[in-house]
Amino acid sequence: MSGDAGNPHTPHELWVKFAATRDPSLRDQLVTENLGLARRLAHRFAHRGQSYDDLAQVASMALIKAVDRYDPERNVKFSTFATGTIIGELKRHFRDRGWSVRAPRRIQELYLELGTTIESLGHGLGRSPKVSELAKATGASEEAIVEAIEAGQGYRSASLDAPGAAGATLGDSLAAEDVAVTLIDERSVLEPALASLPDRNRVIMKLRFIDGLTQSEIASQVGISQMHVSRLLATSLAQLREAFTADL
Amino acid sequence: MSDVVELTFPVRSDLLVLARLTAAALASRADFGIEDIEDLRLVVEELCLSVVGNETNGTIHLQYTREDGLITVGCSLSREGGSDGRADGEANDMSLRIIEALVDEYGENMVADRRQAWIRKRRSKVAS
Repeated sequence: MSGDAGNPHTPHELWVKFAATRDPSLRDQLVTENLGLARRLAHRFAHRGQSYDDLAQVASMALIKAVDRYDPERNVKFSTFATGTIIGELKRHFRDRGWSVRAPRRIQELYLELGTTIESLGHGLGRSPKVSELAKATGASEEAIVEAIEAGQGYRSASLDAPGAAGATLGDSLAAEDVAVTLIDERSVLEPALASLPDRNRVIMKLRFIDGLTQSEIASQVGISQMHVSRLLATSLAQLREAFTADL
Repeated sequence: MSDVVELTFPVRSDLLVLARLTAAALASRADFGIEDIEDLRLVVEELCLSVVGNETNGTIHLQYTREDGLITVGCSLSREGGSDGRADGEANDMSLRIIEALVDEYGENMVADRRQAWIRKRRSKVAS
């Protein structure tokens, strides 16, 4: 088994040059050339509870983060590095934004509680909390925690989630979606769209999606409430979505 | 010392919850952090997709091995007629990308005349 590169047409030299110069135009080029990967991953997660547009925004911002952080000297392909980064941000997005679930209310409530508990415990511990620690913090059993994680199917990959039309195979719908996404024009519209945001929104978007801070961390850094951060992020994402839609 | 858990079920999307739950439960007992558990759930799903491919019939065989701080999952498909299934094209490519990004090792071998795809994920050091 082997995977190919995110964009096989991106020469290694370009990554090396960008790492050395941090040239913004090179950065734009690298982001643009790899937007297809972000969009395909967004599609992979788009079946449950969250719109593709929102997920594509999150994935695209994560892609920018991956481009900025990628070290071409390490023996890791960009596609591998970026896929991990993008999936991490998509998971975080689902935790922050909730879900649409077919699960008992107590499990839904537990899952929602887990979203904040994982963030706060993780912040305090400096690492990802264990199930036993989450059980202790929430007062639920470890089995209930595992069940709630499973029920949080918002970020279950779309692949095996959809029964599909009669006769369709598990892979059929995915393949069709991937091809459709690949066909989308991949001009980079993020940078100018970001530049159009008010200063504070732009700073918050950068802290959230480039620096990877949680909403709570941003709130204490900027000096506003977490709820206010949440609203500003939602507004900014809506603006970016409009720019995205207008440009496609 | 290791624990081995085997799971067998027909190729049906509604039963894949079993594959994910088993992975999550074992990883939880191996003291994996929540991020690693979530990754493992995703990977097991992608592993099944990569093996099942376009097959609509057959039986998925999963073997989970839990060792100290390490989970290995092997997945194979059996069906009457002998084809062992394989996803093709974009879908498989994306499955492999996700697997490659989220596990420590992955590969293929033959088990009982069936092609088995496997992944191995270690507990993150920071979570131990």
